[in-house]
Amino acid sequence: MNQTVRDSSPSQPAWFRNKRTARPLIVARWVPVALVGLPVAVLLAIVIYPTIWMFYHSLRDTNIQGLFMGSHEYIGFQNYATVIGSDRFQQSLIHLVQYLTFGACLQVLIGTVLALTLYEFVKSNALRTAILIILVLPMMLPPSIVGVLWRFLLTPSNGAVNQALLNIGLIKNHIEWFNAGVSLWSIIIADIWNWVALPLLIVYSGRVSLPPAVYEAARVDGAGQWKVMRRITLPMLKEVIAIAFILRFTDAFKFVDLVYIMTSGGPAQSSELPTYIAFQRGIREFAIGEAAAYAIVIFAISAVIITLFLKYMKRVMKAQGLA
Amino acid sequence: MARLEVDEICKGWDFPVIDELSFSVDEGEFFVIVGASGIGKTTLLRLISGLETPDAGRVIIGGADQTKLPPYKRRIAMTFESYALYPHLSVHENIASPLRARKVPAKERDRRVKEVARLLKIDHLLNRRPGEVSGGQKQRTALGRTLVADPEIFLLDEPISHLDAKIRHELRTQFHTLEDLRKVATVYVTHDYSEALSLGDRIGVMGAGGKLEQVGAPRDLFERPANLTVAEHLGQPTINVIGARLQSEDGTLFLRADSGELKFPVGKSNRALLERHGKEKITVGLRPQFIKPIEEAEDGAEPLTAEIDVFEPLGATGIMIANAGGVRLTALTNPEKHFEPGQTVTLAVDVDRFHFFDADSGVNLDRLN
Repeated sequence: MNQTVRDSSPSQPAWFRNKRTARPLIVARWVPVALVGLPVAVLLAIVIYPTIWMFYHSLRDTNIQGLFMGSHEYIGFQNYATVIGSDRFQQSLIHLVQYLTFGACLQVLIGTVLALTLYEFVKSNALRTAILIILVLPMMLPPSIVGVLWRFLLTPSNGAVNQALLNIGLIKNHIEWFNAGVSLWSIIIADIWNWVALPLLIVYSGRVSLPPAVYEAARVDGAGQWKVMRRITLPMLKEVIAIAFILRFTDAFKFVDLVYIMTSGGPAQSSELPTYIAFQRGIREFAIGEAAAYAIVIFAISAVIITLFLKYMKRVMKAQGLA
Repeated sequence: MARLEVDEICKGWDFPVIDELSFSVDEGEFFVIVGASGIGKTTLLRLISGLETPDAGRVIIGGADQTKLPPYKRRIAMTFESYALYPHLSVHENIASPLRARKVPAKERDRRVKEVARLLKIDHLLNRRPGEVSGGQKQRTALGRTLVADPEIFLLDEPISHLDAKIRHELRTQFHTLEDLRKVATVYVTHDYSEALSLGDRIGVMGAGGKLEQVGAPRDLFERPANLTVAEHLGQPTINVIGARLQSEDGTLFLRADSGELKFPVGKSNRALLERHGKEKITVGLRPQFIKPIEEAEDGAEPLTAEIDVFEPLGATGIMIANAGGVRLTALTNPEKHFEPGQTVTLAVDVDRFHFFDADSGVNLDRLN
């Protein structure tokens, strides 16, 4: 077959037409097809199809009965109107912003500070490893354990946290950790404890891989430690820190576990995040259409934020000639 | 402006790297340290700069012992083998960084950066980042960063070794013409002997064991190498090294190569030297340019017959590797002539140009007596 292909192009010189070229690696036709096809099939089955399915039902008045009977009707964007117009959703958006700022962002901030402190001030390798392991431990616990653990710790009457704060004298009365207005903060505290090691690990490994010669150049120049941190280390870690943000932000949009375990969104919906409402409406109350609309709205918000981050990263990397 | 003295400096980690090494560089002198890779050249520069603390010995700059001073108090500027440019800063900001650290006002900073950039012909790149310029331009930026600092001592660590041959030559000429470099004491580290011979006012050849094997003017080093290491390191193609025995026949002294029938008479000028040395075994060194293929025997040169193994025509010159009585000899040939492997040639050897080294210690016999 090769021969016919070659003969059909007269532009090749005569010596080449008769030349024995390297024979292609013998791989059955179906192998490349399967290698690409299987992942694509899996993606279609668990990501693309459900997304389309969800979008379809977000435009219909589907409930659990209707879903099984196949009786649901097209209602346009009524579900979206319900979602966006509801106080419950608007409240949860405020909660989400609160969680993103004081949960995700603070985690990245604390993680970055911890990572750089660890790198700059702990010089013994053994000690560094030990501290890293200790800091990473909470990340290895399943969310169910973390949730239960923090419910114990934050129990108002005789929980460890309240007792400790009382003993130190920082507070005079018990803090009601699970009252309205406070319960979301309890979740955020537990989440920071749970996940702070992720940005820490990312930034730490980023710092380790920065070229040492640049720091020596700075030493010869005579730049002080603080200046080196501000003008060299942090700018060079920009994209690494951006990655930490992206990871924590994507997690924020699927953050249900601790909410469910610690407060169930309560009291009185005061610690609900949009994802939790979607879960509540869809899985517990069987309003499939409305839950689907929630999911699509959350998807849209997260897509916007992540796109902004990626754009920022691309700009940073382009400026450094990396992309 | 100051003189640099390095006094019996020592540094080692798991094994000694720099061992009681001393040298001095005068103000306005360009001192090149040449040596094989991994021999401790960079460590030496780092000791001078203060990035490493010596285990013993002193670094004296301008008459003052600065061994204990941190790098930025030493009035030194250093370029790094990897250039060590700040990737997130523009070329302008990179060059300006030592001035910024010294809190020079922005206007003055800008003026000096532009001046240096013009000198190095990178003034059109000032707004680019290091990732967006070529290797040679990165090197110039790194050099600009050291020039702008206006130091008393320049330390240049393999500044042009990683560039391609053409740019390397261009930048080498640049080092010749940069006035600023010629005003202060410069220590230039390289593994490339031709850079050393081209640039150095004086050269120090660093050998294994963390000592300078020989310090001297380029010609001196090339013509009177202190030992075999120096002779082998300087020169391309490498000097021919032949193990030989001294023999006497009918009152004439001969050198007979260990590995074959090759035999040379000893030149008149060297006879006394060899007789004084008195040992039978001797190592002979002969630079390739003193072996040349000839049509017929000439006066003053010893002809020998050889078979060509390899011939490399390089344009301006040719390199021939030929087998003469079991000894492989490298010869530099006239560019107009062409040879084929397997061809038999007559080689003329200039016996007065032999270097003689002690067979055991490798020390040049010149130095022993």
